[in-house]
Amino acid sequence: MSEQVESLIKKEYAAGFHSAIESDTLPPGLNEEVVRFISAKKEEPEWMLDWRLKAFRAWQEMEEPTWAHVHYPEIDFQAVSYFSAPKSMADKPKSLDEVDPELIATYEKLGIPLHEQEMLAGVAVDAVFDSVSVVTTFRAKLEEAGVIFCPISEAVHRCPELVQKYLGSVVPQKDNYYAALNSAVFSDGSFVYIPKGVRCPMELSTYFRINEMNTGQFERTLIIAEEGSHVSYLEGCTAPMRDENQLHAAVVELVALDNAQIKYSTVQNWYPGNAEGKGGIYNFVTKRGICHTNAKISWTQVETGSAVTWKYPSCILKGDNSVGEFYSVALTNNFQQADTGTKMIHLGKNTRSTIIAKGISAGQSNSAYRGLVRINPGADGARNFTQCDSLLIGDRCGAHTFPYIESKNPSAVIEHEATTSKVSDDQMFLCQQRGLDAEKAISMIVNGFCREVFKELPMEFAVEAGKLLEVSLEGSVG
Amino acid sequence: MLSIKGLCAKVEEKDILKGLDIVVRPGEIHAIMGPNGSGKSTLGNVLSGRPGYEATAGSVTFKGQDLLALDTEERAREGIFLAFQYPVEIPGVSNMEFLKASVDAMRKHAGLPGLSSVEFMKLARETSKRVDLDVAFLKRGVNEGFSGGEKKRNEIMQMMLLEPTLCILDETDSGLDIDALQVVANGVNSMRDGNRSFIVVTHYQRLLDYIVPDYVHVLAGGRIVKSGDKSLALELEAKGYGWLEDEVA
Amino acid sequence: MTDFQHLALKLATTQRSPDWLKDLRERGATSWSSAKWPTRKTENWKYTPLAPLQSAAPARWASTAGNDWQNDIELMDLDATRLVFVNGQFSAEQSTALPAGVVRFADANADQRLLIEQKLGTVVDAERHLFAALSNAWANDGILIHVARGQSLAKPVYLLNVSTPEAEPAVSNQRVLIILEDGSHAEVIEHYVSADSEQNGFVNSLTEVVVGNNAKIEHYRVNLEQEDLLHVGGVHVNLHRDARFHGFTLAQGSRLKRIDYQVNHRGEGAHLELHGVYLPRNKQLIDYHTNVEHCVPHCTTNEVFRGIIGDSAKAVFNGRIHIHPKAQKTLAELSNKNLLTSPTAEIYTKPELEIYADDVRCAHGATISQLNETSLFYLQSRGVTRAEAISMLSFGFINELLNQVPQQAVQDYLRPRLTTLFGKGSELVGQLAYE
Repeated sequence: MSEQVESLIKKEYAAGFHSAIESDTLPPGLNEEVVRFISAKKEEPEWMLDWRLKAFRAWQEMEEPTWAHVHYPEIDFQAVSYFSAPKSMADKPKSLDEVDPELIATYEKLGIPLHEQEMLAGVAVDAVFDSVSVVTTFRAKLEEAGVIFCPISEAVHRCPELVQKYLGSVVPQKDNYYAALNSAVFSDGSFVYIPKGVRCPMELSTYFRINEMNTGQFERTLIIAEEGSHVSYLEGCTAPMRDENQLHAAVVELVALDNAQIKYSTVQNWYPGNAEGKGGIYNFVTKRGICHTNAKISWTQVETGSAVTWKYPSCILKGDNSVGEFYSVALTNNFQQADTGTKMIHLGKNTRSTIIAKGISAGQSNSAYRGLVRINPGADGARNFTQCDSLLIGDRCGAHTFPYIESKNPSAVIEHEATTSKVSDDQMFLCQQRGLDAEKAISMIVNGFCREVFKELPMEFAVEAGKLLEVSLEGSVG
Repeated sequence: MLSIKGLCAKVEEKDILKGLDIVVRPGEIHAIMGPNGSGKSTLGNVLSGRPGYEATAGSVTFKGQDLLALDTEERAREGIFLAFQYPVEIPGVSNMEFLKASVDAMRKHAGLPGLSSVEFMKLARETSKRVDLDVAFLKRGVNEGFSGGEKKRNEIMQMMLLEPTLCILDETDSGLDIDALQVVANGVNSMRDGNRSFIVVTHYQRLLDYIVPDYVHVLAGGRIVKSGDKSLALELEAKGYGWLEDEVA
Repeated sequence: MTDFQHLALKLATTQRSPDWLKDLRERGATSWSSAKWPTRKTENWKYTPLAPLQSAAPARWASTAGNDWQNDIELMDLDATRLVFVNGQFSAEQSTALPAGVVRFADANADQRLLIEQKLGTVVDAERHLFAALSNAWANDGILIHVARGQSLAKPVYLLNVSTPEAEPAVSNQRVLIILEDGSHAEVIEHYVSADSEQNGFVNSLTEVVVGNNAKIEHYRVNLEQEDLLHVGGVHVNLHRDARFHGFTLAQGSRLKRIDYQVNHRGEGAHLELHGVYLPRNKQLIDYHTNVEHCVPHCTTNEVFRGIIGDSAKAVFNGRIHIHPKAQKTLAELSNKNLLTSPTAEIYTKPELEIYADDVRCAHGATISQLNETSLFYLQSRGVTRAEAISMLSFGFINELLNQVPQQAVQDYLRPRLTTLFGKGSELVGQLAYE
């Protein structure tokens, strides 16, 4: 590794500030009472509480998974607080004017203005602060089209039949340790319903912010796209810089009914910990979508944050001719660890999946792709293409590939390729000989490496993702 | 413009240049010829500041500055351009994007305003036509999957866009057919304006039929062993390098 | 401990064995009895259940009884030093005279004993390979192939391992230690075979190879046993500076067949070339696990495995390449291609890369597909039936690797067997390949 490249990379985490907002925070600890408290706080109906309790009891019987290529000290789940909400939100503000200005200022500081007139045209935002949704913009406009976009805590009251029908239908309560935990204590998150045949008139976006100390964030997102509908959804995440690790265990469920399309993009920038590997978010997330006939689900993720990432956005291709896509950039620097990838489960005939995963490791970090492609006996004519590329920056980091490929159908075609490379000294020299400085050169080369994934992001966010990568890399060559 | 005095350089602990002297005045074309392993390519790499090529003695003054004290990109911004013998591929980074970044860096250094995307596109299209490179190449990754000739023409196109004051062509003619060679030569000749200088490093006299040098230097064993005008190149073509090496010995 | 662990341990510890192997046996017994028995959740055995082993419950060691195999079994036709084992027991009358350096542990001289004592069990990591622990625990006999510095064995060593059914299910043990001193060369063929009659045994085989500086070995392992025979085997190799290991392996499946290749690049400039073919059919299972450790810079690996899985058979391929932090300038490639030829066939492939050095070039590819339609059409347009075209192309898929096998006798032995396996059409290709 050229010394030049080595000597780059070091910049503060830009979203690392803490907002001085008074909060109601549950004392740390988890038991049935906590689950009941959260449910009561949200004034949930009986069935919702029962559902949570069932999950909680299952969780108590389960064991934390250890198979991922990540190492971290054992988590004390009794040391985490499971609910925190800004005090001002207790009065349930009716409009943005009633929301605590400090909250609005927090989002503005993060580049997410919540006043509709200031927002990116065509993007509706649900802003989630610790355990509650602060505001959801453009609701009126969306309702005209029949689209429901609201906090899931509200959806429980507003459209209980939809929530009851679909919650846990893709990620069952007992699916895995963290999903069970989330099912028991989830606080808020977004609910999206796109009616039959409707093309959602704008991009939907949720912005997650952890603020309180020692608080876990357990959001739950449910997106239902009825027959023939289309929706594009984007989530972003940040947290303050703290020396303690914080837990984030989310569950996202997507339901794409016949001929529906869901595009789900994530720009994950949770606090990654400092250059010595202290602090940062533990990001243990379960994301899964189910595709009915001719439906399509496309996951795109740009993962630059978190101390530890454990995340496998997946598609169950149940309906014939359905399509699953996964485009991922995972960048780790300093002491970050990421074990991320996808699962494509082919059940229907002529189902297709594409996986493009780009891992970039710098500093002393480790980035692993872990994926499963499974072709079941009934999936005649199924196709999968997988490309996993790793880029190493420096000789103290690691890049790993663990693909599981299982086929039980002779008519399926599966192709998997993986490569590993580094930013070569020759490439750096060429860029510099043409007048670019080393920092610009490396960000250009890395952006080029990620191109195939960035082109899948909605326009506005592709630019942001590129910049995020530059910021995250600054200091990685050091 | 460029004054090299007693330049010594080593690559991977091996002494390659052992006291080289050349003076290049504005507008001149100097050809550097020599047998394989004589240090021809080392010269271009040392002048442009390639990592691993270390000047151990002597001085290089470029436009009155100590060139060896500058970083690679500073040298480029001061006007030194190296056309690579083996152009590098950068997958995923489009030629257009790469060139824009490069031109912007140069213009910023010169105190000029950056070009708008539209202006740049127009300029890039015109330039690629001048080297007979299909505009489609602008959208492809830098040199990614280009043929040998396409890579070399891409180098010349970059040279035209960046408008350097000293162009170093490192065996740009190697592996080129006669048509591509002419395109390269025409490109170079069109850039001659009485101020811009060239150092053309080549193994063969062939290129010098098209790019007529003011001086020809023969490099052997890390030194200039003979200098002359273009007729020296013809003599070398006829007699090979052996006689010179004998003469020096 | 499971019942099988108990049973096997009891058998192992009651074996008669020379004193100088006692340490190894004791260590093996400890590892074996303390090992957690693999389940579906054990990554290394995720797709390969050991249930057939437990249900077969081999109650004793195999013997050379039922020694009527000669009528059925065809040998490879080559001029070699031949060592024949029946159910793991050495058969002197079937074997040829042994050259210097090739010896049974039981007949080893003092120097050779010392060498065995020093090296046996050091190439394999018995903590990571369960059945190597068992092999160590029962180490009572084996074959040492030792080639002195700068020497080359005049003839290939042909190790023929024959299994025959016993009155009760029995265990047989096969242990080989190959030591190539600096600059030496050897060629070793391990051939596992049985009669077509229903087998009831379990073979645990383990080969350790040390390839010294600038030494070279061509190593073959052919497993063509009747499908009821259970077999777990491993080939473990240390490569020193500029050493070469050229390996070829071919196997049919059985109710349980698992073969591990573990290759450690220990010296700079070493090269591994490993080609493998698996052809399970009926209800057979075949599981190949390969693991290549690049511990030092400037080594290269090229690994190619191909499989055709038919009927209700199941194939597992796990190919791991691990680049350690110091192993800069490594070039490593792995390719795994599979054809499924039946709606009930299954393939589980997992090519893994674990990389801790940046200046390396590593790639792997895995495909699962069908025969190329254009090629099928081309053959059909020349008058070949579709069925014939399919068998020709299937054979061709494997023959690409067979053609690269350096030892002609191995090619000549396998080719007609493969043509039979793939049916009529491939005979044509088989013949063409001879021309």
